[in-house]
Amino acid sequence: MSLHEATTPAFRANARAALDNANLQAALRGSRGNFITKRARAREDLPEFDALRDRARDIKDHVLAHLDLYLEAYEAQVIASGGHVHWAETAEEARAIVLDLCRMAGAKAVNKGKTMISEECGINDFLAENGIAPVETDLGEYIIQLRGEVPSHIIAPAVHVTVPEIEAAFRKAHTHLDPDRDLSDLAALQAEARGVLREKYFQAEVGITGANMLIAETGHSVIVTNEGNGDLTQSLPRMHIVMASLEKIVPTLEDAATILRILGRSATGQEMSVYTTFSRGPRRPGDPDGPEEYHVVLLDNGRSNMLATPFQDMLRCIRCGACMNHCPVYQAVGGHAYGWVYPGPMGAVLTPSLIGVEQGGQLPNASSFCGRCEEVCPVRIPLPGMMRSWREREFEKRLTPAAMRRGLGLWAFAARRPRLYRIAARLGAGLLSRLGSKTGRIASLPFARGWTGERDLPAPQRGGTFMDRWKAARR
Amino acid sequence: MSARARILDRIRAAAAPGDRQATVAAWMAAPGGGPLPHQATSHGAQRLTQFMQKLDAAAATVGRVSALAELPKALAHELRKRKLPARIRFGDDPVFAGLDWGTIGTSRGPGRIEEPATLSRAEFGLAETGTLVLASGPDNPVTLTFLGETHFVLLREADLCGGFEDFWTAWRERGLDPRTLNMVTGPSRSADVGQVLQLGAHGPVALHVFLLS
Repeated sequence: MSLHEATTPAFRANARAALDNANLQAALRGSRGNFITKRARAREDLPEFDALRDRARDIKDHVLAHLDLYLEAYEAQVIASGGHVHWAETAEEARAIVLDLCRMAGAKAVNKGKTMISEECGINDFLAENGIAPVETDLGEYIIQLRGEVPSHIIAPAVHVTVPEIEAAFRKAHTHLDPDRDLSDLAALQAEARGVLREKYFQAEVGITGANMLIAETGHSVIVTNEGNGDLTQSLPRMHIVMASLEKIVPTLEDAATILRILGRSATGQEMSVYTTFSRGPRRPGDPDGPEEYHVVLLDNGRSNMLATPFQDMLRCIRCGACMNHCPVYQAVGGHAYGWVYPGPMGAVLTPSLIGVEQGGQLPNASSFCGRCEEVCPVRIPLPGMMRSWREREFEKRLTPAAMRRGLGLWAFAARRPRLYRIAARLGAGLLSRLGSKTGRIASLPFARGWTGERDLPAPQRGGTFMDRWKAARR
Repeated sequence: MSARARILDRIRAAAAPGDRQATVAAWMAAPGGGPLPHQATSHGAQRLTQFMQKLDAAAATVGRVSALAELPKALAHELRKRKLPARIRFGDDPVFAGLDWGTIGTSRGPGRIEEPATLSRAEFGLAETGTLVLASGPDNPVTLTFLGETHFVLLREADLCGGFEDFWTAWRERGLDPRTLNMVTGPSRSADVGQVLQLGAHGPVALHVFLLS
């Protein structure tokens, strides 16, 4: 029995396969740019957006510096409202807690709102192996569950799936429906999923959701959705289980509002997502609906070890997905290539923290260091700097491939000998500039086919190296 | 030692020295302090206009009702316009119980698997984003908000707030403690099929607000 199986060490092979996958490339082409345009417009419409980002960063830093105290305050509030808090150090512990709760509720079926923490814990496979059927209710999650896949994006889990692939998955799974039905438009596909899932909402004994925030002041868990599936998931079964990681805490309702103001705008460009739900405890006496039991599973899984390290700032992340939406690497290879739960720049930093640099050390190399992720991050996480730190650790632990180590070693040897470096640079630049003297471009170059196979290399301009020109100008 | 104790110990071991209790107490005692967006500060007629504009931007519709007794007539009109059956389901809210619903068939209780139209009363509205705030309970069961194909919501204009700041203050003053506080901004939607946004994912396909002056 394995956790969400990591294929992170195979990132390079995964990425190559992703680039050759025509369906994936078509899906990525379809979504590329959408998120960017919408976020940019939302930012323009709110002059205080950047000031709110600063405030959100400060709130999260304050929480991380006092996390123990806020967790205790939060727990006390949940208990006071009639709920239960379960602490899990590892994914295995969290799974065992969830299974126990499901058995207590006599569950045969468990509905799930979108939760990345449950992906981290591999809840679906674990429940299925123990005779309990997990049903994903977020439309995107439902689609990938039918296809036997995991999310490729933290807020748009099925962004890699094309419309014909969705139709095929529905026809295969919904065999109780007329095989000749018309599914040629998008609305028909959405309506079919709505109809199928509507029935399932009323069958499950347990509903599992994630939490975008946990509020220390009140003991609320907060979910932010557009579909309404999270609310049906948590309101109809007799037990509601919230799975959340430690760092989801915010102190007050006002602090939650600051996060909400940047979350939707950064994620989908919405001022507010359609449904923002604050839940506290089980149904009240006299309530005709809502769960009879309310449980929160608080997951650490390596996060407390990130405190007071160069990677602490990563715990500010509010999971909006803006970094991957703006990342040229993510946009070229999609989320599955990253090989574990969290893709894109945030995944490249978080994954080695949670599963170890030996497993996840490849991911921080999946960056051109263009810096857009840091530029758009609503809580200003210095993602490129952290990826650099991981690269250093990977190098120190001798995990970097031998060819790359030799190359870096050679460069370091020269870089520490300025005279040698300048001579080599002058020779190299002169040679390249002669090679491309006619067009200013070099179409093919031995040892650099990785570059010239896809595009020309611009030839260095004439007139010597930077150092030569600098000296000449100072004279 | 429990998982709880081990987790908290690790966090404490990483913490900087200082009177951390006092820092937390001070933060909790003075909630807020973030930048106040201009769009959260509207007043009077401008607040009402902004709220209605934001509802429109969120793909919700809105109509004004001059007196509570007018609500059944306004609802009947909307049901006819939308070619919906003359039926409505709502909770035990005394605001609805005292009305003469005329030709509209009413039923009471939580949401059901198929329900063409449901009606709830919102506690507050936020002009900042066109958001309705509902409190779950016997008066307004939470499932009515999600299981009606068209969801109608009554909001008193007096309960309209500028934005989150004055809303949280008003919320605390009203002293409610429902199982859920539901913020709703437009009808449900998804872009998971082909990355094209479509209304009516799992919740309502349409949301209509009756603003009571």
